[in-house]
Amino acid sequence: METQRKFIVPIGPQHPALKEPGHFQFTVDGEIVTDASVRLGYVHRGIEKGAENRNWTQNLYLFERICGICSHVHATALAIGVERLAGVQAPPRAQAIRILMAELERIHSHLLWLGVAAHEGGFDTLFMYSWRDREIVMDLLESLSGNRVNYSVNLIGGVKFDVEDKHRDAILRGLDTLEERTRHYLNVVTTDRTFLARTRGVGTMSRNQAELFGTVGPTARASGVARDVRVDAPYEAYTLFPVNLVTDEGGDLMARFVVRTKELFESYRLIREILDHLPSGELTVRVPRKIPAGETVSRVEAPRGELFYFIKSNGGEKPERIKVRTPSLCNWASVMQVAVGHKLADMPMILSGIDPCFSCNDRMVLINRGSSSQVWSWDELRRYGIEYYKKL
Amino acid sequence: MNNLTVHPLIALLLFPGGLFLLGGGLLYEWIDRKLVARFQNRLGPRWFQPLADLVKLLAKEEITPQGVNRALFFILPVIALASALTSALYVPIAGFVPASSFRGDLIVTLYLLSVLTLCLGLAGANTMNRFALIGATRTLTQLFSYEAPFLLALLGPAIVTKSWQIMTINYYAQQHTWMAITQPIGFVVALVGLMGKLELPPFDAPEAETEIVAGAMTEYSGRGLALFHLGKNVELFIGLTMVAAFYLGGLANPLEFLAKTLGLLVVLTVLQSLFARLRIDQTVGLWWRAGALLALVQLVVVFLLR
Repeated sequence: METQRKFIVPIGPQHPALKEPGHFQFTVDGEIVTDASVRLGYVHRGIEKGAENRNWTQNLYLFERICGICSHVHATALAIGVERLAGVQAPPRAQAIRILMAELERIHSHLLWLGVAAHEGGFDTLFMYSWRDREIVMDLLESLSGNRVNYSVNLIGGVKFDVEDKHRDAILRGLDTLEERTRHYLNVVTTDRTFLARTRGVGTMSRNQAELFGTVGPTARASGVARDVRVDAPYEAYTLFPVNLVTDEGGDLMARFVVRTKELFESYRLIREILDHLPSGELTVRVPRKIPAGETVSRVEAPRGELFYFIKSNGGEKPERIKVRTPSLCNWASVMQVAVGHKLADMPMILSGIDPCFSCNDRMVLINRGSSSQVWSWDELRRYGIEYYKKL
Repeated sequence: MNNLTVHPLIALLLFPGGLFLLGGGLLYEWIDRKLVARFQNRLGPRWFQPLADLVKLLAKEEITPQGVNRALFFILPVIALASALTSALYVPIAGFVPASSFRGDLIVTLYLLSVLTLCLGLAGANTMNRFALIGATRTLTQLFSYEAPFLLALLGPAIVTKSWQIMTINYYAQQHTWMAITQPIGFVVALVGLMGKLELPPFDAPEAETEIVAGAMTEYSGRGLALFHLGKNVELFIGLTMVAAFYLGGLANPLEFLAKTLGLLVVLTVLQSLFARLRIDQTVGLWWRAGALLALVQLVVVFLLR
């Protein structure tokens, strides 16, 4: 074979390593990756545009469906933003229930990730066990909300259900089991020799790099960047129940495993505290159907990192514009940079190291070939659409 | 040693070759899958699942991809299975006297067992598929790493016996202390070498699905895939028989055969579920740094104490 010719290993859009479609090209020299590129957009669903045709309440359901894993934080981010525009605040008990669900969701998300990441490294036993234990928290979520995913907790101005004593007992019992299991997993990911051979010193990202690439969430925290919206800008009941930041200086895959596992303990502690000091009172406040004109930014900490919502209202029943920036989008750049120089065999683990969520971060990308203008008027856009479909 | 011998035709078609071997291979595959599943907290397949998989694959259309040498694509799985089946003639399957035996058949058997891996490598290199090419490279790389230690590990008993004939070694093993006790290092290397040979986890880098889909077998479907799978099952069966015959006090009768090979299989399944997958460079490093050295040390000790 010619040495000049590049040997590119395509991963995706359909590939056993990927649970959602994405396309990665790894240029390899033998087993060493010399170049990496990513192409996203296979599951673009036009949700932001769809939001403009729905009223505020309908949008709550739509945005909850952005992500199948961290659905609750999306709805929370939207609800917080809209409430701020409307000048109301959810009652304390509702706020506490919101973050209670958010932490339960974080547990489920981190355990899910632990399994997937272990599977990418060929450690199926850990995969099966962590997913078995994840069922505990899934059952808790179901017993609270009636759903395993898309819990539909939020209303604009509150939450839909209360946490009763029987729920409380079930959650505490489940947490005890989970805490014990998590301690075991922490032990596994920090001491298992074959597993460490795949994670220690692999995909190392220094603190400077993490800052430079703008990483968020556990990915950043594993590189020593103290960044967590729950701590930096506490929202909802996080002001009452402060979070202890978990960071690690390692920056490699092992550090990401450690940070996420330790965050599980933090979530357990937080949930217990919330359940002990659950504020009493109403669950909802009245919110007008029409939201006053204005714009706001709403930030929450999703399991994968900072989730950013920009919400603009024109004073009507429907939003003027909602822009979502999901954490996975911020972390992609780091993967593509860090991948170079590693073995092909490390790629699945490095990819899953940021806990990527493809469908939440797919955006429309406009490649402007004609004019250099970035702003298109409605007429131009319409003409472009007509011409595009004529060509097909 | 028992005196049971079988008619050559029966030996080829029914026992120990042919049907018995295929059935045994499928059975052992099921036990392997079931046990690993149970260790991983899964239910695992039903007892006829390997057979059902085989029938399904055989019934399916076989797609020959573009850009391959068609003859090679067709014949490689056949050679792989045939060589695995042939090697059964020289080993004491089910504790019976090998159907055929001559001086030095140990070497022939080992080579026949390697043909499967070689065929896999060639099959991968034959296609244009990039996953298959990488898989083939890894398969052959792995072949070169475990083959020498595995061979050395099986030479230990041969040297003690002063014979290169499997039947004699088996007979010798029955008369003496288990060689797993007298040559523990060789036993471990042979067992782990067998895992490398069969590309079982943690040595499954050549077919790591999260990286290279199915490795060298990516382009195979239907018949070819079925034959490769079957070949691997047969090799598992024969490999276990050999290690048991050499290191676990020989195989004198079917009962002993079942107990010893199944015992080894349980150990293999435990090892499979314990570890994360090794990268190919780690596999090679492990074998040459630890495996080959240990096997050599064992061999030197055997020479000195003989």
